[in-house]
Amino acid sequence: MMRAAADCGHAAVDLQPPGDCGARAVAGFRVALGSRSIVMTNDLEYENVVMEFRGRGATVRALDTFNFHVAESEFVVVVGPSGCGKSTLLHMTAGLMHPTAGRVMLGGSIITDPGPDKAIVFQNFSLFPWKSVRSNIDFGLRINGMPPAERNELIDRYIKLIGLDGFENHYPRQLSGGMQQRVAIARSFVMRPRVLLMDEPFAALDAQNRQLMQEELVRIWSAQRPTVMFITHSVEEAVFLADRIVVISRRPGRVKKVLDVTAVAGASHWRMDPFEDVIRRPDFQELRAEIWGLVKSEIQLRS
Amino acid sequence: MGRQQLQRTFYGLVSIGGIIALWVYLTGSGRVTPIILPPPADVLEGAIDIYRGYLSVPWYEHFRASLVVMLTGYFSAIAVGVPIGVAIAWWRPLEVVLSPLLAVLRPIPPPAWIPLAILWFGIGLAGKAFIVFVAAVVPCIMNSYLAIKETPQELLVSARTLGASQRTLLFEVALPSGLPAIMTGLRIALGTSWATIVAAELVVSLAGFGFLIMNGYRNLESQIVMVGMIAVAVIGFLMNWAFLLIERRLVPWRETDD
Amino acid sequence: MTDIHATAGAPPVDAADDASRRMPMPSARTLLVTAVILGWLGLWWAAVVHLDVSKDFLPTPYEVAHRILVLAYEPLGAGTLWTHAAASLVRLLSGFAAAVAVGMPLGLLMALIRPVNHMVTPLFELFRYIPPIAWAPFAIFWFGAGNNAQAYVIFTAAFPPILINTFRGVELVDKRLIDAARTLGARAHTIIAEVALPGALPYVMTGLRIGLAGGWMALIAAEIVAGTGSRDGLGYLILQGQQSLAADLTIGAMVLIGIIGTLIDIVLQRVEARTQSWRH
Ligand SMILES: Nc1ncnc2c1ncn2[C@@H]1O[C@H](COP(=O)(O)OP(=O)(O)OP(=O)(O)O)[C@@H](O)[C@H]1O
Ligand SMILES: [Mg+2]
Repeated sequence: MMRAAADCGHAAVDLQPPGDCGARAVAGFRVALGSRSIVMTNDLEYENVVMEFRGRGATVRALDTFNFHVAESEFVVVVGPSGCGKSTLLHMTAGLMHPTAGRVMLGGSIITDPGPDKAIVFQNFSLFPWKSVRSNIDFGLRINGMPPAERNELIDRYIKLIGLDGFENHYPRQLSGGMQQRVAIARSFVMRPRVLLMDEPFAALDAQNRQLMQEELVRIWSAQRPTVMFITHSVEEAVFLADRIVVISRRPGRVKKVLDVTAVAGASHWRMDPFEDVIRRPDFQELRAEIWGLVKSEIQLRS
Repeated sequence: MGRQQLQRTFYGLVSIGGIIALWVYLTGSGRVTPIILPPPADVLEGAIDIYRGYLSVPWYEHFRASLVVMLTGYFSAIAVGVPIGVAIAWWRPLEVVLSPLLAVLRPIPPPAWIPLAILWFGIGLAGKAFIVFVAAVVPCIMNSYLAIKETPQELLVSARTLGASQRTLLFEVALPSGLPAIMTGLRIALGTSWATIVAAELVVSLAGFGFLIMNGYRNLESQIVMVGMIAVAVIGFLMNWAFLLIERRLVPWRETDD
Repeated sequence: MTDIHATAGAPPVDAADDASRRMPMPSARTLLVTAVILGWLGLWWAAVVHLDVSKDFLPTPYEVAHRILVLAYEPLGAGTLWTHAAASLVRLLSGFAAAVAVGMPLGLLMALIRPVNHMVTPLFELFRYIPPIAWAPFAIFWFGAGNNAQAYVIFTAAFPPILINTFRGVELVDKRLIDAARTLGARAHTIIAEVALPGALPYVMTGLRIGLAGGWMALIAAEIVAGTGSRDGLGYLILQGQQSLAADLTIGAMVLIGIIGTLIDIVLQRVEARTQSWRH
């Protein structure tokens, strides 16, 4: 194990090699954790999911018979009006909440607890302010018992990957919002999660940074290809990134429509191209308009 | 900024200088009796008196009496209060059992404990350390409690999704996240401890700065009172300053150094 | 930034202290809380009875309660418990009123006129490290033993948070609001009365609450420290208990002090919450 990691020290930075060393390192690490990792599919299955919140007197039904399937390594973007249960859906997928009825399954088994195989990235980064960039990325590896030598290798790789070399020892508050979110993303990816859950990860960034981060996310993601559930309020972001887009109806949330972006985005998917080129394509604009129409009708229904 | 700094220094000098000038003027030629306001020279004499052993108490005894006793009580309060505050914030059953007790004890001002402490523990180190303990333990508990309770939910959630156990959540997320607030509590407790030991010495003591203030008063030697007050203020200031230095060391991520 | 911000390292008299009085009780569980308190009282009682502790050392809760009840109609010293409570409250209020009368206008001036700020801040820093009770001897030299001396001690406790919070509150009022009022033709006094002070009100209220709590603490200290001239007041009761070796009286008076302090705080929290309601 140690040797595998050490060997790839030199390969480092380059993201593309098929036999990604980090992958091997962490696969072994997962075996050490005792999970049956080797033959696992990473698909998500939502089966008649209902989620209710019991407040004082009133009960809020956030999600209602939500049915959906996310294939392994698929990039699914969730859009819908505010309060329709998107975050709730993500929290359930992470194992932080449990559905009132129905099942959420990862690779065929019901999700019970949060864990490093289900990474989550929030809008406000939620880095540990008392830890340096390096220790933030290290946290998950360390508490799961990976030996220091391997950890250092991996962290170095990921710090280079997110372009923050030189900032290893900075505290989060010394970084810009975009840099902080990069660290949060690295902290998730370094764990080699089976699914990556992102709740409006770029909403707090300005337009330029947002665009940069979208491209960067694609770059990092395509090297590892975890299954992604990505929430956004930006229709453009959804159309640019997604394999498929789920539009959720206003509360109680159900699947209103599922749109297949891959059918339009071409064989290599347009997210591999620069955003400003893609956004000018008529088929992109057409899809964007369609989705915006769907979301708008839900918002207007409300009033 | 430079201009404003200059202005600030100027006005600061004017006001401090003004106060000193007023002091010199008022006490100058018997406009105010020395008891009401001792002249600067008398205050200096008072300080020398104390140094030579006012009421035959050697000067260092005052430091020993006030500081040693206070620090004993203060550190015991930290040792007891912080773990209790953290525990009740983290462990719900303990909160249910202890928070009503705290709610009852908290509003009793520290000086109100003085007579009881003397009754229970005598007028020596034990009694005074107890008073300081009672005074300091409340902010220690309260601030640790709130510090842990106010750990940002998303940090806990992030750590859990990274695989953190309860133990890791407490020691590696909640505690560091709450450390600044805990430190604030300890600093408040330090000020409270110092004020309380002085109060306790005003009631009963054989040495200490409260002892000086009280005996200066009894003997109508206001210059002794004033030296006592100045010493109390200077020591209070120095302790606070030292604490801030330590705090900056312990909580470096709070700083912005760019 | 401003002067007082620059000295944020001084002992926090306001915000943090404020935080320390907000510990929520497990609410809506009044029964449970009552049961727990009864449990603690039972434990106290059982300990006294079992260990055979002398009544002079630690009385039972019953004896304390009894003592309080008796005191409600049987005079001790200057009068019954009501007399003592009233005496303490009058002192508290007079010292507090003086602190408000000086602290609020001065805080306002400091926020509005920079040189005033530059001049007051160093003096304030000079004196803030003197604990209120240490003023007791000079208070007596200046005002004579009695209510005025005690009121002065309370003043020194209540004044700093009132001053700081007024200053900070006015200073934090959005300058654009003041400019807006000015472009609408408002005069200085209108701006102060209708923009600066209402904007600062939530802070001022917090300052008042902390000031009153500090004053209450200083009052008890002043009443306990011999020589300040009390023949009445709750602190005097505590002292009487100690001097006559009546621990039930001492503890009873402490309980009363705690209860009254809590009531004062509850009332002020209500008022404070009301002044802050428009913020949410
Ligand atoms: N812990 C909770 N307790 C009670 N109600 C909740 C809770 N979490 C969410 N809700 C309610 O469930 C509904 C869905 O919330 P959720 O946060 O999932 O919406 P969302 O789609 O993420 O909205 P937004 O786009 O604004 O983030 C809302 O009405 C919300 O008030
Ligand atoms: Mg949401």
